[in-house]
Amino acid sequence: MEIRAHMVSAGKAEGLALVYRGAFSFMGDLDPNTGRIPVPRHLLEGKKIANKVFVFTTGKGSSGGDCIAWMAKENGNAPSAIICLESEPVLSGAAIITGIPAVDKPDKDIFEIIQTGDYVKVNATEGLIEVLGK
Amino acid sequence: MRLTEEEKRMLHGDGPPGIQRAIELLVTLGDSFDAEKLVPITYGHISYDLCPEAFWNLMTEGVPPTPHRVTTHPSSQPEIYKAWGLPVSDQSAEEHERKLKRFKQLGWLRTETCAEYLLGIMPKKGDIVPMGGSCMQVANNSLFGARVDRMGVLVSLAAAVSGRYPLMGLVLQENRYARHLVELENLDVTDWTLSHYHCLGYYIGDQIPGFKPVAVNGLPHNLSFDFTRALVISMPTSGAVTLAHVVGSTPEAPTLEAALGNRKPEHVVRVGKKELSETWERLNVWDDDIVEHVSFGCPHATIDEIGRISTLVEGKELKTSLLIGSSPSVEALARHQGYADVIEKAGGQFLPVCPSIGNPFTRLDIAGHKQAKSAATNSARSAHYLAAVSGVKVFFGTEEECVEASITGRWKGEIPKWK
Repeated sequence: MEIRAHMVSAGKAEGLALVYRGAFSFMGDLDPNTGRIPVPRHLLEGKKIANKVFVFTTGKGSSGGDCIAWMAKENGNAPSAIICLESEPVLSGAAIITGIPAVDKPDKDIFEIIQTGDYVKVNATEGLIEVLGK
Repeated sequence: MRLTEEEKRMLHGDGPPGIQRAIELLVTLGDSFDAEKLVPITYGHISYDLCPEAFWNLMTEGVPPTPHRVTTHPSSQPEIYKAWGLPVSDQSAEEHERKLKRFKQLGWLRTETCAEYLLGIMPKKGDIVPMGGSCMQVANNSLFGARVDRMGVLVSLAAAVSGRYPLMGLVLQENRYARHLVELENLDVTDWTLSHYHCLGYYIGDQIPGFKPVAVNGLPHNLSFDFTRALVISMPTSGAVTLAHVVGSTPEAPTLEAALGNRKPEHVVRVGKKELSETWERLNVWDDDIVEHVSFGCPHATIDEIGRISTLVEGKELKTSLLIGSSPSVEALARHQGYADVIEKAGGQFLPVCPSIGNPFTRLDIAGHKQAKSAATNSARSAHYLAAVSGVKVFFGTEEECVEASITGRWKGEIPKWK
């Protein structure tokens, strides 16, 4: 299955998807030392974001998000690619600065099509998402 | 994107590499949001503490003192931590000193606060002031009508060194009208404290999808500065709201119609007693009632808050550590007024740090074995980040409940009986 999307940050990456139907902040929602979600009572508490194709709705939270994204990238704990419904400037800046390929505004319902654990290829430069399934 | 001749020289010329990289980043970011050009900024605000040193060095390389003002965010205090006997590594203390030295070379102002409007450094309506700190972004947008787009700390550094920001997002008038409407239902706010407004803001932030402006309708008009501030700054903690119009209180919202730009809202959120009770409960993350630390000043405390805390702790001996995050300037006024002495005599402390994300009492990597395992706060923003970043148990309640907890070491806070 192919999905067209809008480029936020250039590049290509692929890997297993982690899907979260909510907003995400690098600050607070990602521990840059473990690559996991540390938030108590978070739906995905303890789940690993590192090296996943992370699928969510939009960015939120602290403007320090790009700093945490930088630390996560240095530690090898950043997501390999980002797919979201609509990016916002903190998230976009974080992806651009750290070189995480990222797309938004997909032309199909990503939450219908992509499940956690699916193998997904993201070509952000071309604005193309390929979902290969499990 | 269309660049001026000067901007083209900044990008392609043989000028400072830092400015070149900054413009390159702003153009890439602007392109992804279809910005047509860059615009000059009125002043900037950065955080050298949060900024990784490698990025700091890339962006400031060769940059001369800037013609525009740049100020800084709350700052960690390695020398003070060392004097307290905290295990500060030489490496992090030296990195701090290096960045601070460069900051001062650039001619930038060491304000060390997330609330510099309390120092008289504030934008006027329409000023373009890109800055790090989602809390001051939303405050400057909402309370003063400045044009501050939502952006990250690293992007704000690029704007500060280059003096430019893409013409996009909240810099554009057409994007400043509220798209979402919040209606308060059956709520009597007569007895509300700062914490109640924090709680409301936190709920709203969570309910608003995305980062488009919101209008809050149904509160008494001409709400106090401190209450309006508490309401708007909590939103970008649970969400991404960066401009909130409080109808009857903020400059772009004399009426609901003005706030909405005479359009219908895309969606309406209704808030009543149930939603607020659930939010208050959600902000409390604890099992036993032992309180080891109390944190005030998120956002950095006003002189009135400090005055109230001083009255509450006068003549008392605090069982827990108590931190008030405040700018050195507001602390100086508190000292001048006699409040600081009273608070320090009881056992409280002032620091120009971020008491939520950079709290030296709760952060294991700063406090080491002296880490407080639980903290009480009157700020929803603080409650959120103390739990998420420091990983400690959190008690959320009113100023009075927090001071009481600091005196007894026990939490007796209760969920308010909403009227």
